[in-house]
Amino acid sequence: MLKPTTLAMILAGSRVNELNVLTSSRPKSAVPFGGLGRIIDFPLSNLLNSGIEQIALLSQYRSYSLINHIGTGAAWDMIGRYRKLSILPPSQGAMGGDWYRGPADAIHQNLDFIRFHEPEEILILSGDHVYSMDYQDMINYHTEKDADLTIAFTRVPRSDAHRFGLAEIEEKDNDTRGGRILDYWEKPLCPQSDWASMTILCFKPDVLYQALEENHKGESYHFGLDIIPSLLQKNLKIYGYKFYGYWGYTRTIDEYWRSSMDMLGSNPAIDLEKWMFRTNLDHRNIRDNEPALMGENAIVTNSLIYNGCKVGGTVRNSILFPGVHVKRGAVVENSILFYNNIVGKNCRLNKVVSDVNVVFKEKVTAGPLVCAAHTPVTVIGWNNTIPQSTEIGEGATIHPNRSGGVWPSYINSGEEFH
Amino acid sequence: MKKGKKALVLILAGGVGSRLNILVQKRAKPAVPFAGIYRIIDFSLSNVMNSGLKNVGILTQYKPLSLMDHLAMGDAWDFSGRSRGLTILPPRTGESESDWYKGTADAVRRNIDFLESNPSDEVVILSGDHIYNMDFDAMIEYHRSKSADVTIAMMVVPRSEIHQFGAGIVDKNDRIIEWEEKPKEPRTNLASMGIYVFDFKYLLDCLKRDKSEVDFGMHILPRSIAEDNVFAYPFYGYWRDVGTIQAYWEANMDVLRKDSGISPQKWQIRTNVEGGSRISDRAPARFGEFCSLDTCLVSAGSKIDGSVTNSVLAPGVIVEKGAKVNNSIIFADCIIRAGAVVDLAILDKRVIVGANAVVGYGDNYKVVNRFKPSHLYSGITLVGKAAVVPVGQLIGRNCVVNGGVTAASYSGLPLEDGDTLFADGKVT
Repeated sequence: MLKPTTLAMILAGSRVNELNVLTSSRPKSAVPFGGLGRIIDFPLSNLLNSGIEQIALLSQYRSYSLINHIGTGAAWDMIGRYRKLSILPPSQGAMGGDWYRGPADAIHQNLDFIRFHEPEEILILSGDHVYSMDYQDMINYHTEKDADLTIAFTRVPRSDAHRFGLAEIEEKDNDTRGGRILDYWEKPLCPQSDWASMTILCFKPDVLYQALEENHKGESYHFGLDIIPSLLQKNLKIYGYKFYGYWGYTRTIDEYWRSSMDMLGSNPAIDLEKWMFRTNLDHRNIRDNEPALMGENAIVTNSLIYNGCKVGGTVRNSILFPGVHVKRGAVVENSILFYNNIVGKNCRLNKVVSDVNVVFKEKVTAGPLVCAAHTPVTVIGWNNTIPQSTEIGEGATIHPNRSGGVWPSYINSGEEFH
Repeated sequence: MKKGKKALVLILAGGVGSRLNILVQKRAKPAVPFAGIYRIIDFSLSNVMNSGLKNVGILTQYKPLSLMDHLAMGDAWDFSGRSRGLTILPPRTGESESDWYKGTADAVRRNIDFLESNPSDEVVILSGDHIYNMDFDAMIEYHRSKSADVTIAMMVVPRSEIHQFGAGIVDKNDRIIEWEEKPKEPRTNLASMGIYVFDFKYLLDCLKRDKSEVDFGMHILPRSIAEDNVFAYPFYGYWRDVGTIQAYWEANMDVLRKDSGISPQKWQIRTNVEGGSRISDRAPARFGEFCSLDTCLVSAGSKIDGSVTNSVLAPGVIVEKGAKVNNSIIFADCIIRAGAVVDLAILDKRVIVGANAVVGYGDNYKVVNRFKPSHLYSGITLVGKAAVVPVGQLIGRNCVVNGGVTAASYSGLPLEDGDTLFADGKVT
């Protein structure tokens, strides 16, 4: 195989405050998703399946979990003569150095790295979304149009549109793949389009280099806010590439829960096998788990359960990561339990997202008896041991690492418990 | 993990294990899947790894490809690294002689060059066929404390079973003073587990003294016991030679029960989950709206919409709506279509059971398999790799459907209890 021509840069450094306790110790891209892996696995699997073999990952916020997850990159077949997954944390150099002040600044600080690879296209992605996409199709479109910049867009409900970068895309020649971008608004108050940016950008290298040098002189370092509008003003060839598949965004806890639920049902929108999903099975040694053991009283419906789980109670509409135990008499519904949660006898959990290593002692309840469409998610931070018979109201948030100490017997709905 | 010891390990993984019938049609016994995600050899290999031993030679002979694919570079058991290694040792031709391995001792003898290029204090020789958890490091310590030439791991078995084993009689210091290989009349209940620790130089001397001594149990050990210091290392705990279909089925069922003494997870058994050439990782097992479960192991990548009771499912098994799986062991990527029943059966990989078919039909468990009466006599029915069971087909007890059988191989009539169906449509 010839030396690859595309260099992919994944922006995986951000925290996203709205995910609250789930991102207190890890960047958003390292948040567990789908019953075995992490959100970053989706873009990485896409890159593998698109045949893109040179990848750099820019990380900054609490990057240990992410770096640990990436390992050598072997899980995505990224070790070889020309295959490589490089991790680029902020660094110091002879000219000083600084934290990444924004996504564009992060790329700018690594221009040497990019130039060294002499790419023909630079693909910039975010590590935050749940989707399956062949980037090669987009790159082919970009090359065919001889575009300076191509950006991927997906349709979102107009009511949600104000949270994204939106574009007016020219409709010409019945080309459903996309068209020139006529106008672009970053998170506008009054949306005039429902095509939202997926924050996947394919640049001609010289266009990127020049844009970054100019942007560097200013004080704001964002692609959507700064670089795209300024390139549009220059009348460059900027195209919108339309993506029609599933796109799950997980910016809030509620969205995280809803995107996860898209994995359930008889014909799920997210199908890991079809998507040819890969994760790093060495991370947390999940490869070493024995098959899930279902006890004589286990009742499981419409749920995903990975190896290493032990179920003696009832599990409905839920996702259990490796090593979760649900003991006899316990009922887990509409919930997502990360690695190694222990749900004690006669517990009742409904619409709960629980981070790793949480122990629910006997008869703990969390969330409502019956779940309605707008019931808020109850979130439990990692490494908590919740004492026997504690009642946790719906929508409450329990902060991490609160094992031991005095617990109230009742935690109110919506309360933030530190 | 314990700090590195220098002992070299040889695992004998070349035997046919023919009593496992069609499960060893395309693979050696150590490569037979076990407990959903494991292979039999994972237990020996993980014991070696967890004992802190780092250098392993694997002697292969019979149908080694599946085994070699599974072992790969040994990464799964942490055998790759500067000072570690997993080496496959197949039979090979030499300048003066070339032949298959004629026995356990002959196999080791013909790898003397491997021994000599990996000098160590002791050599641990074991079989890749058994299900157990054992610390070889403790056994080596025992061997040293006794200043033994050879130490043999031994356990108490029922006297009625001693005829399958090497049997030893020990003195009060656990020194073995008498040895009988597979005795017809039991005089002791102490059986060899086929695990030996040899002093390195002593082993080389034994192998060099007489080339007609081709088997450890038959030749080398009796002579060593008569002439030198051989000790028994007592083992207590779960140990099974899963060399028969019955024993294999029972050991799999043991994994379902807490009190059986076997626990791959607690024993830290490692496997190579990436054997084969799958593009994606297995997704979590998917349980549908109408599934029903009772005491079963379900592996990642499975999709369960029917009922599974008292069974062990490997990765990627599909049980459709209304299908029932009872008392069975299902290998990877089998499909059990709607309304089908699989009862007291072992299905090899990629078997497709058509809608409303029954594998394990009727309740006459007593008619033994006519082709191999000693293999199938308790009611268990076997379906070979990638075989097809047509829609509505009935298959009785103690039956064998050979690997690769297609729908066209069937006559349209039920397979009677004890029948064996071959790919060419012949029924025995």
